[in-house]
Amino acid sequence: MWPPDDSGGRRVVVTGLGPVSSVGIGVADFTASLRAGKVGYSPITSFDPSGFPYQMAGEVSEFVPAQVLRRLDPSRWGRSSQFAAAAAGLAMRDAGLDGGQVPAASVAVVMGTTSGESQVVEELTAQAVAGGGGQAYEPGLLTRLPAARLAYAASEELGVTGPSVTLANACSASNYAIGYGYDLVCTGDAEVAVTGGADSVCRWAHAGFYRLGALSEKACSPFDRDRTGILTAEGGVAMVLESLDHAERRGARIYAEILGYGLNCDADHMVAPDAERIAECIRLAHARAGIKPADVSYICAHGTGTGSNDRAEATAVRIVFGDQPPPMSSIKSMLGHAMGAASGFGAVAATLAIAGGFLPPTVNWAHPDPDFSWLDPVPNHSRPAQVRIAQNHGFAFGGNNCITLLGALR
Amino acid sequence: MTALVITGTGAVSAAGVGMEALVKALAEDERPRADPAALYPDPLPYQAVPALSDFSVRALLGRKGTSFFDRATSLAVVACGQAIEDSQVTLGEQVRCRMGVALGTTVGSLRSSSEYSRETLVAERPYLVNPVLFPNTVMNCAAGQAAIWHKLHGVNSTVAGGRLGFLDALRYAVNLLRRKHADAMLVGAVEEFTPQRAWAHYRLGAPGLPGEAAAVFMLERSGAIPPDGRPPLAELAAVTGGFHPGGDPAGLGQRLAECVGHALHLARLSPSQVRYVGTSECQGPGDEQVAKAALGGSLPAAVRSLDVAAVLGDCGAVSAGLQLAALLARYFEDPAPAVLAGWTVDGGYQVAVIKEPAHAGAHRQ
Repeated sequence: MWPPDDSGGRRVVVTGLGPVSSVGIGVADFTASLRAGKVGYSPITSFDPSGFPYQMAGEVSEFVPAQVLRRLDPSRWGRSSQFAAAAAGLAMRDAGLDGGQVPAASVAVVMGTTSGESQVVEELTAQAVAGGGGQAYEPGLLTRLPAARLAYAASEELGVTGPSVTLANACSASNYAIGYGYDLVCTGDAEVAVTGGADSVCRWAHAGFYRLGALSEKACSPFDRDRTGILTAEGGVAMVLESLDHAERRGARIYAEILGYGLNCDADHMVAPDAERIAECIRLAHARAGIKPADVSYICAHGTGTGSNDRAEATAVRIVFGDQPPPMSSIKSMLGHAMGAASGFGAVAATLAIAGGFLPPTVNWAHPDPDFSWLDPVPNHSRPAQVRIAQNHGFAFGGNNCITLLGALR
Repeated sequence: MTALVITGTGAVSAAGVGMEALVKALAEDERPRADPAALYPDPLPYQAVPALSDFSVRALLGRKGTSFFDRATSLAVVACGQAIEDSQVTLGEQVRCRMGVALGTTVGSLRSSSEYSRETLVAERPYLVNPVLFPNTVMNCAAGQAAIWHKLHGVNSTVAGGRLGFLDALRYAVNLLRRKHADAMLVGAVEEFTPQRAWAHYRLGAPGLPGEAAAVFMLERSGAIPPDGRPPLAELAAVTGGFHPGGDPAGLGQRLAECVGHALHLARLSPSQVRYVGTSECQGPGDEQVAKAALGGSLPAAVRSLDVAAVLGDCGAVSAGLQLAALLARYFEDPAPAVLAGWTVDGGYQVAVIKEPAHAGAHRQ
């Protein structure tokens, strides 16, 4: 009934993973790449990079929509929507929920993004440039423009009828989506939530990050003293969340439990991160999950590889964890920065760390940064570890911080 | 949980800055129109549009910190400020950390992203873009700048719902309040009038005229923000929705009808008590069919329409927000339950039920 109370009594677990990334499509390939420290970026092919000084990005060059999608007609949807739908489909198959085992109305979809259908915007813009203005916009392309269609594509692909929402919180958007999906299952608004995010590589982001001085030429080396910035990337990612009861009843494989999440906003600068607010966000997440800093075994960093992010992030961790923080690695060193999908990939990596007993590495790492020489970035090689609780960071333009906490099922 | 109440409103629309201008235009069916040539040099397919002709963020907020705002950001920051002021809340540090923002949008500022993209095509070198304008290209720019301007450290979120932007943001905010991630939320939506949106509207063959607006409301758990007892303007009695794969108008109308029934059930109201209704407008020929299927049989015949597009144009994600503003304006004289039913052509739908606050006669004058 209404108003709804805070009846978030249900425990929520992760039972399906669907990465569509530059280092692999599907959970097996993705896991193997994280373990091997495989790099997924390569020379740009999705737009003509000539004239750009730097020409590398983390494109998902192996993505063939028709090979993954079962219901969605790719010709009617933009690339980011295709990523979202493909990721959702893979995650539901991985969860063993692709055969109508749950009523359609009890499945919610929440997707996060930075720039939605950025390639559609770019194509429309190119039409306007070539055709003397907006009268050249192609109507069929305009129908693919709304960012809401990322979640709709996933709902359409799955044939599900619960809430379908796209959160546009820039580079922490997937974590926001996971948090919202977690709440929907916690409270019983949904039995299953398919959560994650998607984005596509585009010219304007490549140019913008370059001009901000935040783009790297060839490699992303987070937490290294000589780090030079990000590589833009793309992809789609989804996690299937369901109530523990539901998962146990159907005998599902359970990867991990979602313990809670924290959110706040720097409200200080659109681009520059604020270490104190990030530290506060970590504390909020810990409080929501009912854990202490010492309980955390691994941090999956936002770790963009820019000077300012990595410094602020390390500082925030030091504020909360003191002298002996847990290992903190950045998978962006391998995938590049997949924007709205990035923290979703981070959540999948954190889940795999718990379920698979290993820490994904920060590759391209050579020199400790004297400002945070105490940091263990899991340099260059993954390593076995028992991970009881993993903390996944997502920060963004607009100071939109969100941190999710995942734990081994007890 | 205690009631979810609306304690402040802010609105910027073609009628002008503020609720008063909006209310007057709606009451007198004024249909404010501006000459688009006075706004942009670009050739446009419309001679008169429901846009603000003399809006200046610099005049309203000053030069410092606003120089690089795009139009959507400017409208949103101003409307958020009005909602804060109208709610009479005192913004201490603690309140600032527990007050969030959730804004609905379609694609953020299409002008900002498109012009950025354009620069990479027409500049002498493709990377010669202006770094200062880069944050404007991300969809959460308006919400992020609103938080910076008003120093709000609570949850900051942007919900890309297209025509459902406002209602999606409303539902999202309810979850945050329910789960105590925030004590109060500025919930709203924003769309700007630009050549890009005007041409998109025209080339899609959408009915009506492309408009612009920002509507923002202070939504809070009753009593969570001191001082207690600030008189609410209205109560949010329910919000719920879903997705209809395929989006065919007949099926969508059927789902929406069930959703209206469910929302009224949650609100403990019978259909016969509903006196106002707002629906999604300006999408195309399917609209009428959806509205008829959804509402035709269930609500009283005398129900009054809250639709605003004839006066204020197609305001996309803000549509239902403007309808809520129109409703609250009527609450001074005639408070009664309302249904806001929204949908998108792609199959998303959401229904909100608003009713008069529990203590009738507590309105501020």
